[in-house]
Amino acid sequence: MAKEIKKPKKPDEPDLLPAMGLFTILIPMLLSMTAFQKLAIVEVNLPERSNMIMDDTPPEPDQQALNLSLAVTTDYLVIGARGGFQPNVYFKEMWTFRCKTDAKLITYAPEDVKAAVESGHGPKCQDGSEMDVEKYIYDIETIELWAIQKESEEDPGRVIWGMYSSQGEGRPDSAYLDGANNFLALPGEGPLGLQKPAALKLPSAGTRVSTLSENSERALKPDAAASNIIYALSAYDVIAKDLIAIHTQFIDLEDVDNIIIVANDDTQFDKIIQLMDRAKEAGFTKINLAKLGG
Amino acid sequence: MRKTRKYSEDVPFSLTSMMDMMTIILVFMIKNIDAEGQLVTQAENLVLPNSTSKIQPKEVSLTVVVDNGFVVVDNEKIVPTADVLAQDSLLVEKVNTVLQDRRQIEKDHALANNLPADEAGHIIVQIDKNIPYDAMYKVMATCGFSGYTNIAFAVMMKNGGEE
Repeated sequence: MAKEIKKPKKPDEPDLLPAMGLFTILIPMLLSMTAFQKLAIVEVNLPERSNMIMDDTPPEPDQQALNLSLAVTTDYLVIGARGGFQPNVYFKEMWTFRCKTDAKLITYAPEDVKAAVESGHGPKCQDGSEMDVEKYIYDIETIELWAIQKESEEDPGRVIWGMYSSQGEGRPDSAYLDGANNFLALPGEGPLGLQKPAALKLPSAGTRVSTLSENSERALKPDAAASNIIYALSAYDVIAKDLIAIHTQFIDLEDVDNIIIVANDDTQFDKIIQLMDRAKEAGFTKINLAKLGG
Repeated sequence: MRKTRKYSEDVPFSLTSMMDMMTIILVFMIKNIDAEGQLVTQAENLVLPNSTSKIQPKEVSLTVVVDNGFVVVDNEKIVPTADVLAQDSLLVEKVNTVLQDRRQIEKDHALANNLPADEAGHIIVQIDKNIPYDAMYKVMATCGFSGYTNIAFAVMMKNGGEE
């Protein structure tokens, strides 16, 4: 008699319904506790009241104090210390919007946006649609300050382009510096230097670069080298580099951690926060605010 | 005639793929969970600036909001922002009156609970990122004048707080 060959029985699936029930309860609960955008705070100091007895004669300037200030005007940023000023860091302000219709980023000069708004149109998105002419200001994702190289006060200047690591969507993250602590950057071509310079080539894998962060020098890995971009050098980065150098150079001074940010009346709050961030990262822990000419 | 395929009636409903999906969602949720809760919540009609700061507020503080329309103290519209910009004085009178009242209440509450009442008040200022420095400075000066000298600006963590 032929032996009957038994087919292996398919294993039974475990009963997953109770687990599903648990998940269905857990997910809405966790969803209610999830924070997709986290808020933080930036602490700021009010100007301190002096304990000195004031008389008619102004006090002698403290030769041992740094008295560091960082001024922001409509055209440039400048660092002042001990009564002197560093060269102005000129910039061209640019607004990057995130459109609600296509969720894509688009960058415009403020004067172009204002001209469009005056003619009754909102700034245009990449898909051709227009932003709300009343509420376009809420679509500004970043206010960028593109560093400009100027030969004289009258010179309109040329945008400086630099090497950046990318944070996706073609947006810059960290600026690259070479071994001599100079930005890998060149002035742009064409009118106002708005075209990327052809001579500026992205660093290849293995090139030694650093960023503004401490001890960041490394050889570029192939995947990092492939994702780098050329983007307009940020005036914030130029100022951050100077602030780091100043903080390191005058580390022994008593007021080395103090900085006063001075701004015009019409300076947007976003610029103040960006400068406070750069100052904190450079090691200035005590930040005061003051008005320009006030 | 085309032959229709017959399916057995007792095909079990497979939950395995659904379980995989749920597991992924669960892991994502656990990663983003904020167990401590938020002591500051963002006001409406306001875009806060992005910042690299990761400092979290340690206690619930009085909040002043400055948007394009109004200066708001504790959800109460106090004065139009345009009026603040138009005035010459650094002190915003209406805001100062409200803040001094709140500060007095805080001091009375501290005394009633045997806590030091003369400490500087804490305040969190939420300012729209496009608000001019002039309005910010006047509101900040008013906060300082009314006894809230520990001032912090609310900001949005860059990249949602991811490293």
